[in-house]
Amino acid sequence: MPGYQKITSKMLQVPVAPGAEVYSRRGAMLAYTGSVAFAPSTTAGQSIGGAIGRAVAGERSAMMHVTGQGEVMFGHAGLHVSVVDLSGGDTLFVEADRLLVHDASLQVGTMFMGEQGGVRGIVRGAVTGQGLFTTTLTGKGSCGLLSHGGVMELPIGPQHPVHVDPQAYVAHRGQVQNRLTTAVGLRELIGRGSGEGFQLELSGSGVVYVQASERKI
Amino acid sequence: MSSFGTRTWNAATLPANDNVNPYAFSVDLDGQWFAQKGKMIAYYGQVRFEALSSGPLDALVARTFNSPLYAQDWIVAQGRGKLLLADRGFDVNSFDLDDGNLTVRAGNLLAFEPGLELKQSIIPGFLTLIGTGRFVAASNGAVHFVEPPIRVDPQALLGWADCPSPCHHYDHSYMRGAFGAARMVFGIGGSSGEEHQFDFTGQGTVLMQSSEAVMNEDVLLRDLEGQIGMVGTSGLQRLQQTISRRLSSERQG
Repeated sequence: MPGYQKITSKMLQVPVAPGAEVYSRRGAMLAYTGSVAFAPSTTAGQSIGGAIGRAVAGERSAMMHVTGQGEVMFGHAGLHVSVVDLSGGDTLFVEADRLLVHDASLQVGTMFMGEQGGVRGIVRGAVTGQGLFTTTLTGKGSCGLLSHGGVMELPIGPQHPVHVDPQAYVAHRGQVQNRLTTAVGLRELIGRGSGEGFQLELSGSGVVYVQASERKI
Repeated sequence: MSSFGTRTWNAATLPANDNVNPYAFSVDLDGQWFAQKGKMIAYYGQVRFEALSSGPLDALVARTFNSPLYAQDWIVAQGRGKLLLADRGFDVNSFDLDDGNLTVRAGNLLAFEPGLELKQSIIPGFLTLIGTGRFVAASNGAVHFVEPPIRVDPQALLGWADCPSPCHHYDHSYMRGAFGAARMVFGIGGSSGEEHQFDFTGQGTVLMQSSEAVMNEDVLLRDLEGQIGMVGTSGLQRLQQTISRRLSSERQG
């Protein structure tokens, strides 16, 4: 597979061929060579049932199906782009609006936050503004993620969990449990908090992607 | 070096006609430069900034600034000193033209030497520089150079050099068939947002940037106003109907 190629920190070049199609965020194409077509897609590679589920969950980002033969460049709103390659073994958990482009060979799903971390997961989704659902990508292929200021890859080991600011969290993969930890004390109650009252604790084994900013997309 | 790891500059150590960092450019001013309003962030030396309409500049403006539409956005910096230019934290680059031509998005052109002649491009919102000299332009992310044939999203297009022929390309192929017809008639499923591109063919270079979400609406508006002269009476009446229809729907919304 030729793979995704980064041109600049904000631009990605993706080869498209029959049988190697991609889905991308609508309107994120910058340029292309060859003969490539862009069709709006409501299902983004899922079944109709899955698409309805996603729509109900609010975890829906307008995607388009990119087909044909050629090279397509992607980018969005001057945000940084990072490439994540999935070898087929694990699942990537990411917010739908951070997804710039992904191979059509990847299976897209929606996961209820409660599945990862129970009630805490639900609270986490509500507090961070990410909603109660998140998007999952499984299979073999690549995807491009959007971030503000670029991402760092932090490994998570069984002995060393990682604490992340919920606003700086972009995505994670592997066997990871996430938990919202609060550091709310008397100071927060009287409005003298450090401004870091909530943290996301990720434990298990895997990788978390963190952006160098607290700005949402 | 300061304690923050950044270098401290002064008038003597600032680079001459070179980048200070990826986001700021230092012009070694000795004479006159055209600069877009609001892009100058600092200067050293004896520099005066004059509006293009001011009398003494008439001869210079008539010779090199061939675009009344953009005249109110530009000033002339004259004197001796160092002029620092920057724009919205974008990457800033300078380019040298040697008896050449280059067209660039109007909002992204920061400054140019009077040796170059500025004209409005036929594509709305773009300016063409012709001649010999240096100019400074900003881009969202580093500039990426590509060769035709290529199709570029209108927002990602930064400009083009030499003469690849730019034209519009529309792609509605997914509107075909029974499902496509339903999509077109009922508007279900939305559009991909990628139906329209600029198509470049021929010899030359196309300059691209990562997509810029914010368009300079003021320039767009003035561009439209400038083109009204080409519309006849019946066209003006139709335009009026379109505008009033749009206005009433905006009020309801």
